[in-house]
Amino acid sequence: MTYAKLQKVNMKIALEIDRLTKIYEGRVNALDGVDLEVKDGVIFALLGPNGSGKTTLMRVLTTQFRPTSGVARAFGHDVVREDAQVRKIIGYVPQEMSVWTDITGFENLLIYAKIYGVSSSSRNKCIQDALQSMGLEEVEGKLVKKYSGGMIRRLEIACALLVKPRILFLDEPTLGLDPSARKAVWENLMSFKKEYGTTVFFNTHYMDEADLYSDEVAIINKGKIVKFGTASDLKRSLHSEIISFLLADDQTGMGRLFRSNVLDRIKALNLVDDAVVHGTVLDVTVEDGEVALPAIMELLNCEGVKLKRVKATNPTLDDVFLKYAGMRQQRNQSGYHHGPN
Amino acid sequence: MLECVSKEINQVTTMAPTESLREMFAMIELEMRRLRHDRTEIYTRAVQPILWLAVYGTVMSHVRDIPTGGIPYIDYITPGVLLQSTIFVSVFYGLTIVWERETGILKRLLVAPSSRYATVIGRAIASGVRATVQALIIFPVAILLGVKFISNPLYILAAFLMLFMISGGFAALSIFVASLMKTRERFMGIGQAMIMPLFFASNALYPISLMPPFLQSIAFVNPLTYAVDAVRGLMISGNVTNIFADFTAVIVFDILIFTAASISFRKIIE
Repeated sequence: MTYAKLQKVNMKIALEIDRLTKIYEGRVNALDGVDLEVKDGVIFALLGPNGSGKTTLMRVLTTQFRPTSGVARAFGHDVVREDAQVRKIIGYVPQEMSVWTDITGFENLLIYAKIYGVSSSSRNKCIQDALQSMGLEEVEGKLVKKYSGGMIRRLEIACALLVKPRILFLDEPTLGLDPSARKAVWENLMSFKKEYGTTVFFNTHYMDEADLYSDEVAIINKGKIVKFGTASDLKRSLHSEIISFLLADDQTGMGRLFRSNVLDRIKALNLVDDAVVHGTVLDVTVEDGEVALPAIMELLNCEGVKLKRVKATNPTLDDVFLKYAGMRQQRNQSGYHHGPN
Repeated sequence: MLECVSKEINQVTTMAPTESLREMFAMIELEMRRLRHDRTEIYTRAVQPILWLAVYGTVMSHVRDIPTGGIPYIDYITPGVLLQSTIFVSVFYGLTIVWERETGILKRLLVAPSSRYATVIGRAIASGVRATVQALIIFPVAILLGVKFISNPLYILAAFLMLFMISGGFAALSIFVASLMKTRERFMGIGQAMIMPLFFASNALYPISLMPPFLQSIAFVNPLTYAVDAVRGLMISGNVTNIFADFTAVIVFDILIFTAASISFRKIIE
């Protein structure tokens, strides 16, 4: 039975997080009641500004910290009471570099294989599999200090993949990597995931990565999950697309716009939130561009406003992030706190 | 594919009883592999002890006031110098731990399915092995300088066992300090401040009977004193009457410090 089939028969929950809090030194609420559920086999992205608690959450889930209150389970195992069980089914790559640089890539994997107790008969195969899935076969015999940043990151992930964990935790997996190295990391990860059905839980503040590679996204801010869903759900939930109309004939066009209250009439249209004019550009914020556009076009046409170009801008995950995490943080600047990240 | 995954997990679970031992061996292997890739440190660290023997030992041997029990002075200080060089390796082993804390290696080791006791003891033993290799470099130099060792190989083996045990203990002490200090700068300061007093407040360079009473009481609780006494008996004088007391003292020290280091280790990542 393939993994995908099995998954359909029995949709399991990989991570259940219930009212989790973590208070540092009795004052800093790094986690302030996190509720979250991650399904088995998904790629899950946790987004949040610096100091929002995303690293703390990951460190609680990987049994490094005890939560102050609340419960978290990985495949039914409590991360506090059954931490030894949890450690056996998870792989973890911290934000910082986590391989020994004065030995070779192969030796790093070998030491990890021994720590994890991979039997000597299957050790070599496991190491070769891990090297191959991260595309490192050619450099396995080189000292790690000669590796590039992208290669080091792939080696770290290879170390975590060695025992085929059921959940792989990645803390900012592509931080500081150039675009091609980032792409290589993700391509290797995706093909590994496809083969083994591993659940991947990663922290990031690269919105494009969350958008491209994740099945589900949650946004954390000030220790709370403020938004949860698929990337496209979140974008749709913003209800804001901006349609820009570039006016063809600025003088007469502008005149016409203002003469007969066109602006106000556009604003009054169904699904339109706002309309503003910047120079010769009319920006209309709409909830659903596909429905609103014909109505706006018709109105402009009736009034004789000629257009040179129309451009619709879809919201990106950046906009979602700014709305739920960025803005909120600005508003509460005075109460802003930062936990050890 | 799933069978492969679950098989892998089962393999990990069923090996629980030997987990700790396995990790200790992995840590020793790591240290050996590091050493194989870069031996410069072992050589450069051999310079100082060789100077102690060749310069300090040779000059001081003309001062005939130090009661060495009829042993030439260079021979007398050789065990102390050997021990000092190994302890140097051990005391600065904490730096490796501080470095691994600054990077993500420690976090990762703590998330691996093994106990922190195994991590600490494994690392300390690994450092003991490294320190013993250090002594092996100095040993032939001492022979070249004319130091006469006891020819009984069992005695020499026992002396190296003592070197290994005390080095492991001091490495654990170093890990303990590292888990409290956490930064490289603070650790360097403490490390420097530990070595020389340990060396001077012991019988490494002169008999305890020459010391003022205050220093004598420090030497009495200094584990290095017992290690020097054992190694001197086994390698140089052949007088092994205190050997059981010496080994007992060092074993007690090891147990205490391994326990303390294991307990404090978890603090290091917080």
